[in-house]
Amino acid sequence: MFLNTEGSKPIYIQIAEWIETEILNGNFAVEEKVNSQYQLAEMFNINPATAAKGLNILADEDILFKKRGLGMFVSPEAKQQIVKKRKEQTLKRLVQEVVLEARYLDVSERELIQMIEQANQKGDEEGT
Amino acid sequence: MNIIEVNNLTKSYGKTNALKQLSFSIEENKITGIIGRNGAGKTTMLNILAGFIKPTSGEVSVFSENPFDNLFVSSQSILVDDTMMLPTSLSLSELLKEASRFYEQWDETLAQRLFDYFSFDPNQHHDKLSKGKKSTFNTILGLASRCPLTIFDEPTIGMDEAVRKDFYRALLKDYLAHPRTILLSSHHLNEIEDLLEDVLLINDGATYLHMPVSELKSYAVGLKGPADLVKKWSRGRINLSSKNLGPSQLYVVLENDFSAESLEEMKRSGIELSSVSSSDVCVYLTSTSKGGIDDVFSDRETS
Repeated sequence: MFLNTEGSKPIYIQIAEWIETEILNGNFAVEEKVNSQYQLAEMFNINPATAAKGLNILADEDILFKKRGLGMFVSPEAKQQIVKKRKEQTLKRLVQEVVLEARYLDVSERELIQMIEQANQKGDEEGT
Repeated sequence: MNIIEVNNLTKSYGKTNALKQLSFSIEENKITGIIGRNGAGKTTMLNILAGFIKPTSGEVSVFSENPFDNLFVSSQSILVDDTMMLPTSLSLSELLKEASRFYEQWDETLAQRLFDYFSFDPNQHHDKLSKGKKSTFNTILGLASRCPLTIFDEPTIGMDEAVRKDFYRALLKDYLAHPRTILLSSHHLNEIEDLLEDVLLINDGATYLHMPVSELKSYAVGLKGPADLVKKWSRGRINLSSKNLGPSQLYVVLENDFSAESLEEMKRSGIELSSVSSSDVCVYLTSTSKGGIDDVFSDRETS
């Protein structure tokens, strides 16, 4: 397992995102136990306190819940929370970047939307 | 619980002060990185903690005791560095045997496995080893002693990259299985930062900052963009580093206490934001002179 240690994202955020992706993929089901901070530390070669920080973020966002002495589990509303968070944060930021770049290049809103539609159709074809 | 308490620690060698009123404390079972420039006082401090040298003034307690000339502290701690004095008359395997008699938590299996993994010859002598091999052997002592306080002072000197990676991995794995208080000094923060929980940055013999490594990573932010805009945002702030990029572009590193809104506004106005690595933050914070290496050559450049 490799983390991007040079990147701007703190390691604990990367840990949180890795677990989120595993939940979205269905690798962790609702009510299932996720890796402990020690297992994550071993897997990603990081300090267990950093791993714990990643887990705690997800607990604060109701994506995971704690069972005392047993560990962290996937909460029933996990997927919903992750989708909501990523839409509001990640997707919004990416769209902002796209819009900014389009402005630099004098790409009109119409043209930009067309590009998005094209990309979306292509994605559909590949998906089927 | 604090394993180490240091208060106003000063160490003078003649007229120079290696440590000046140094104060900090270290909690149990944390891995702390000891970072600082050459001559910052790291080695002096670690030698005082291990009880090898006596402070000039101030208080030091390790396991609630004064470490100097203290057998209890000696038995509970180990300092691994490249000046470890080991008897030259003993072979490497005899050295391991002697270490196992001294350290009550000694892990025989781990020592032997690491010894074999790194292909040591049991009949070799420590003073005949190459620099890198010597460092590797010393870290085996440090890991296998399993001391409640384990101090590594620049443990990877001379090691090649593969061995350094192996050592860090071994350190982490053994720490996960047997948590203990570890101090790890290195000039290469980027190599060790993922292993660390806290960073203690020492500058000029005093504590500069002591914080979780995750906070250090967001301590500073880099701004790149049109010079007038960048200058506007840097006004009234501590400028950690700046660099002219062409006639109208400027890059500066600032302490990151901006609100999310301010950062958004910068981005919209065309400033490129970048994160600043922990090791760069440390370099900027401890730079001794104004400017950089370029200034040494400034009057020689042809205009």
